[in-house]
Amino acid sequence: MAISESASREPQTSQQTSQQWLENEPAVEVVGITKRYGQVAACDSVDLVLRRGQIHGVLGENGAGKSTLMKVLIGLVVPDAGQVIIDGRPSVITDPIDAAAKGIGMVHQHFSVVNALTVWENVALGDQDRLNPQAVRNEIGDLSRHYGLDIEPNAIVGTLTAGLRQRVEIIKCLRRSPRTVILDEPTSVLTPGESEALFEGLRRAVEDEGMAIALVSHKLDEILGATDLVTIMRRGQVVANLPTSQSDAPGLARAMVGRPVSLRSERMLADRPLADRPTQAERAGSKSGLPKPVQKTASLEIRSVYAQGDDGRSLLNGLSLAVNRGEIVGLAGVEGNGQRPLGDLLSSLLPVSQGEVRVDGHPIVCGKAGAMARARISVIPEDRHDSGCVLEMSVAENLFLADPTLVSRRGVVDRRKMMDRAQGLIDRFAISCEGPTAPMWSLSGGNQQRVILAREMAHAPRVLVAAQPTRGLDVGAIEYMSSQLRQAAEEGVAVLLISTELEEILDLASRLIVLSEGRIVGGMDRDQVDIEQLGLMMGGAGT
Amino acid sequence: MTDVVASDPIDALPKEVSAAARGRHLVFGEIVSLYALSIAGALLLSGLLVYLTGGSARAVLGALLDGSILRPGRWGLTLGSAAPMLLVALGTIINSRAGLVNIGQEGQLLLGAAFATYVGVRLGGENIGQVAGFGVLVALLLAGGAGGAMWAAVAGALRFKRGVPEVLSTLLMVTIASNAVGYGLKKDWLLLAPAGDRSNRNQVSEQLAETVRVKRVTVFGNEFPITVFLAIGLAVVVAFALARTVPGFRLRMLGQNAKTAQRAGVDSARYGMAAMLLSGGFAGLAGAVMLAGGDFGNYQLVPGFSVSIGWTGLLVALVAREKASAAILVSFLFAGLRTGSGFLAATGVERKITGVVQALLVLALLIPPAFLYIRERRRALNASKERI
Repeated sequence: MAISESASREPQTSQQTSQQWLENEPAVEVVGITKRYGQVAACDSVDLVLRRGQIHGVLGENGAGKSTLMKVLIGLVVPDAGQVIIDGRPSVITDPIDAAAKGIGMVHQHFSVVNALTVWENVALGDQDRLNPQAVRNEIGDLSRHYGLDIEPNAIVGTLTAGLRQRVEIIKCLRRSPRTVILDEPTSVLTPGESEALFEGLRRAVEDEGMAIALVSHKLDEILGATDLVTIMRRGQVVANLPTSQSDAPGLARAMVGRPVSLRSERMLADRPLADRPTQAERAGSKSGLPKPVQKTASLEIRSVYAQGDDGRSLLNGLSLAVNRGEIVGLAGVEGNGQRPLGDLLSSLLPVSQGEVRVDGHPIVCGKAGAMARARISVIPEDRHDSGCVLEMSVAENLFLADPTLVSRRGVVDRRKMMDRAQGLIDRFAISCEGPTAPMWSLSGGNQQRVILAREMAHAPRVLVAAQPTRGLDVGAIEYMSSQLRQAAEEGVAVLLISTELEEILDLASRLIVLSEGRIVGGMDRDQVDIEQLGLMMGGAGT
Repeated sequence: MTDVVASDPIDALPKEVSAAARGRHLVFGEIVSLYALSIAGALLLSGLLVYLTGGSARAVLGALLDGSILRPGRWGLTLGSAAPMLLVALGTIINSRAGLVNIGQEGQLLLGAAFATYVGVRLGGENIGQVAGFGVLVALLLAGGAGGAMWAAVAGALRFKRGVPEVLSTLLMVTIASNAVGYGLKKDWLLLAPAGDRSNRNQVSEQLAETVRVKRVTVFGNEFPITVFLAIGLAVVVAFALARTVPGFRLRMLGQNAKTAQRAGVDSARYGMAAMLLSGGFAGLAGAVMLAGGDFGNYQLVPGFSVSIGWTGLLVALVAREKASAAILVSFLFAGLRTGSGFLAATGVERKITGVVQALLVLALLIPPAFLYIRERRRALNASKERI
């Protein structure tokens, strides 16, 4: 099927461009879609109209029903009620292949590319009949020129940055000439520059070819900057539907969360000192409101660590850093420069070839199971499904993964104690779930993150490593996570915030250090941030 | 329910709950009938097969039931056969919960039996006393466990030191085990019985002395070895250990997310090795129980002694879906097929038909979950088609 489509792509495209598509004609209409999981309605009679020539933002917190709605459109979820109308005809979408045949394509948040293969091989995957490499490469060239998605067809996907890997996904999607494209949180792994390029390409597709685009996001800036219309979802229902030009950030945030929230970017724009949190400022005893190091002995010290991956590639390249008690150090840098290995190192997942890690002056064995956790280094991992939780286990079990002895006597788990303590943590961290025995997979991403946070904080950490802690979270959850990190620092924990979102670091950290190619290339105090200098360092040119 | 969900303004909630409760009853009944249907289907196919090969299905079913439970003394025999199957299944369950795939139980069981024979024969002479005999029995059961564990340990070491997939090494080592035991049965200094007054020296070991054998009890005219209680007791222990103890918790953690487990202090090599040792140990113990129990041969080791009990135990674990408690019932069912097949000769149907029945039953028990999943999806699809 794929080959027949790709063969007919050229004429179809020209036909589309020559054909007068009617401005704002509905491409896909969703009428009264309802999908229940048990007693929870993920989508509750949702209506949505995606029109040609428009980028339609779908905004909502985690668990608001955005993903379920989009999965209905590409046939991954079959709704309990309601219908989908494509080009005026009621249709049933049975699976993603069927969706593609009906002109709907999706670019997923998590990539499904084969890292060992080249770009063109990834694009050609799934094609039938004889493979014509040159034709595929040409096709990629045409598409990347047309949409401004520059990419080298012969590059090995595994060596590419997240932004370029996403381009591969987008090209895979566009190659099937979709009339409607769904993008699920497309910028969560992109640099600001990459995001801008992506939106330019999308705008071109929309204006020249009358494509209808659904942009699923929880980033307000993005919705405001890139969309024509915005639909806001909350708890499975559409709560607002309005032209983007008539909305503003605080209004959208209110509609999304259902209550006013303090916006990080708003704070940044106003450039108010962070002292708007008087209690914290008072407690920290500092006029600027920034948590200052309470004492000068480093809680966490990493000394010129070198580490290699299984394939012999250098992951950490003489990395040294120190985090003091009670301070939040922000580790900035472009994705793929050693953030993940550093997180792995502090999760006992990565052995080192040279160098050492010390907590309060005591050296810790690297790569030995549980060694870092025993030294009371808590980690909120970058990929929570990978090393943060066990999806098949219950919430209660996940809360006591690291130290089940807390709820056991002589090696036997005390069920009642476990449930009671778990319920306590569920209440304290406001984790939304059916109870301590609910399986972890039944929770939304934000609530899974809360479970991890609750567990890691419950162990009275000396060091808290938060790797991309707000990635994929909504405004309310981001605010919550940020306040928890601040609170941890106030309580004397050394916090290392690893983030690719500069805004987040500027908002939280008292000191910034910059990671490039597996080592620290520089740093500066929050008070003396020079964005240009920072950008140069991140690009590896600051040294 | 937490406040977030509870605060949802869903007025119809109580009604929905009762509907859901009713629905749950329906679903439960449906699942039960689905399993019944699927098993009936397997039996029907088996019957058809019997009919096509010129037998009478009714006679075969009658013979199977007679042979496994109905005739006097038969269910005792079935219990005796079920015990080693259950032991093998328990080891398999521990192993697969840790995320490892040991499929070499047949070899581990045989090696366990060989170790048990060696210890039982060397330590227990003809005229050994009651008490000393019991001591030797315990020693030979332990030796059996050690033998099986040792065999699995080789695969474990290869897995954790060299990265050799244990699914391959354990399987291939079955053949090695059977050849090694065959060799041992040819050498006087290992397992071969002294020539005595026999003219041809077959590959057989000496018999275990009377006092070294497992005590057999008789209940309602059914005789079985007391190792049946040992196996059931161990099933309870394994079920409890996996569900409720800290090491069991850690083991499951390892099986479900090795990276999270590593961070939480579960050393994959240490816990994985322990799981392999336990798995092999249970298989080896099963071999020792078969040797000293009396339901398999004449208290002596012969080539092919394991008679596929290792493979069957693997199937028991598969059908019991990694639940130690369920394995008790499943092992009795499979043992019933085995003992029942002994009565088939009178019906003129090939004994091996039970192997086919067994395979059909395994399939029958695995079909319902898959069916439920597919049907749910199809129903939803049809419903949405109807709405158009």
